[in-house]
Amino acid sequence: MRGIFSVLVENKDGVLSQISGLFARRGFNIDSLAVGETERRDISSMTIVSTGDTRTIDQIEKQLNKKVDVIKVRRLDEAKCIEMEMMLIKVSYNATNRSSLIEICSVMGAKIMHVSNKHLLIEIHDSPEVVENFINLVRPFGIVEVQRTGTVAMSKN
Amino acid sequence: MGDLNMNGAQAMIKCLEAEGIDIIFGYPGVAIAPFYDAMYDSSIKHVLTRQEQAAGHAASGYARISRKPAVCCTSSGPGATNIITSLATAYADSIPVIVITGQVNSELLGRDVFQEADMRGATQSFVKYSYLVKNVDDIPRIFKEAFFIANTGRKGPVLIDIPVDVQMKELSKEFKYPDSVDIRGYKPNTKGNPQQMAKVIAAINNAERPLICAGGGVILGNGENTVREFCEKYQIPLVHTMMGIGVMAKAHPMYYGMLGNNGKPYANNAVANCDLLIIVGARVADRAIPRPKNLEKKLTVIHIDIDTAEIGKVLGPTIPLVGDVNNIFRTLIDSDIHVDTAQWIRELESFKKSTVDHRVWSDELVNPMTLVQTLSNKMDDDAIYVADVGQNQLWSADNYVMKHGRYMTTGGMGCMGYSIPAAMGAKFCEPDKQVVAVCGDGSFQMSMYELGTLAVNNIPLKILVMKNRFLGLVREYQHYNYQDRYSGVRLHDYPYYDKIAEAYDMKYFEASDNESMPGIIDEFLACEGSAIMVCNIDSQDITK
Repeated sequence: MRGIFSVLVENKDGVLSQISGLFARRGFNIDSLAVGETERRDISSMTIVSTGDTRTIDQIEKQLNKKVDVIKVRRLDEAKCIEMEMMLIKVSYNATNRSSLIEICSVMGAKIMHVSNKHLLIEIHDSPEVVENFINLVRPFGIVEVQRTGTVAMSKN
Repeated sequence: MGDLNMNGAQAMIKCLEAEGIDIIFGYPGVAIAPFYDAMYDSSIKHVLTRQEQAAGHAASGYARISRKPAVCCTSSGPGATNIITSLATAYADSIPVIVITGQVNSELLGRDVFQEADMRGATQSFVKYSYLVKNVDDIPRIFKEAFFIANTGRKGPVLIDIPVDVQMKELSKEFKYPDSVDIRGYKPNTKGNPQQMAKVIAAINNAERPLICAGGGVILGNGENTVREFCEKYQIPLVHTMMGIGVMAKAHPMYYGMLGNNGKPYANNAVANCDLLIIVGARVADRAIPRPKNLEKKLTVIHIDIDTAEIGKVLGPTIPLVGDVNNIFRTLIDSDIHVDTAQWIRELESFKKSTVDHRVWSDELVNPMTLVQTLSNKMDDDAIYVADVGQNQLWSADNYVMKHGRYMTTGGMGCMGYSIPAAMGAKFCEPDKQVVAVCGDGSFQMSMYELGTLAVNNIPLKILVMKNRFLGLVREYQHYNYQDRYSGVRLHDYPYYDKIAEAYDMKYFEASDNESMPGIIDEFLACEGSAIMVCNIDSQDITK
């Protein structure tokens, strides 16, 4: 199963390494990890997405809670939260396929941020599934570089 | 107090004094020199060990006996890395130890200068929490928090890494040791959730064959008396893990021994036949319960622990309950519980009586089982027995006669060389109690250097060496799993223990047969000062 954790942590040095170390040591997967400050400078928020069986996901929650620098752990229900991700992607084009690439961007709600004579630099922010789908759609054109932020998520309630 | 000229090192000493610390085990060096200089003016006693790892084990032994945090310190770099093994040992056994390590000048951090080691990084998985002190004015808060974190919830070691310049810098405000701590991410839960408590009570009321499995957490939570009272009131039998030795005396009618691979068959029989297993303060580790999945399927399991993450880590319990052992068992004692266990206890008793030990023992030399039984029987009622790691540990755990004393060993990490420094720490804590370290000839040699610390400080520790010229437990493993291909396990005849004893002004005793052994133990225990007693054991003798 997939576990989405929204974790509030102390914004100080070494915390990210403690959290990622916890996953590494216990053999838990990190599918994605996004970190940023909250409205308070002294608190950061992490969204961690992991996969594993029920016991593993339960253990992740408990082990996160055990960390002194972790203030709050919330496990988000996929059906009851909004997940978003942003991606910058550089895709090759030529005279014949350029317009179909632009058409895909337009249909998918992606934005062309920069045009060079060989590549388009495209930005898309959407759910992780849509971002994944977009990658598959533009793959035939030739992907030069991808930067994804990882998922950030928030409960609807 | 109130002097603004106080430097970081002096503030560290003030903090330790405020915490009631009167002894520090350590090893100095340049990066911790300001702290040592401040200690010079304080009433805190410093014990110079012969290697940093021993300072960690000694603090751990002291903490276990005093039941509060103990302190050790080292310099930076290799001094600091040397102590990591004892930190890992204390962490695995949940022992509250405060470790202060000197660090290179904060401006040089990260430049790989002489004797720099990233201690926070290196100890991340072996401490409960760690600090790198960057601002001298944070010292009082950090020390207060460190002691609080080490000694609450699931206890464990806390590291304070402090650059030498921070130790020398003057405080910019008046020193004030905080009265309380407020760590927003750390609020250990001690009271059992009322709904879960109700389920626990119902489960005990419904049980016909209830059994308690007590772990080291019962002792760490100072809950031995409460758990015993619970067993007595409701007539519920008890088994324990290796770390749980000491929860109940062997002669107690509810006592059914140590479970697990190295435990008693009648303890494992009790686990296999109970209908309700109440696990308290135990990790359900592989040596105690090798096949947790089998248990899950067939019986009701109540798992009580102070650490939420221990519950369900290995075994999926029917009823999880997080809280402090004393609070929970006090509530259970005061609750309305009716359980009739007379028939169940009759079954356990008859199985226990019919248990035959099929192990065959060499007629030569000293029988290690008889040795441990004789020694622990002859020891004072409140004596402290410290077992090392290896065959000596398993023979000790299997045969130790628990009265009202303490039994210490490292169950989690299994760190050889633990017994001598840990026993030394225990003896510093309780100078009037009898303390015996029991080790093998392998583990003795891992901490042999600490005889110097014992001698210099006039510590009358008794050390019993089970000598079989082998790393016995590895040899036993090779016997069972590698067709007697004994690779790298021979210790031969060295050292000459009589000469070692002489070198450190210790008395020396030696036993080579079962007939003379009890008399020699009497002399060994009764003699003034420190002593080594070597018991020669046949290398063919095995633990199972």
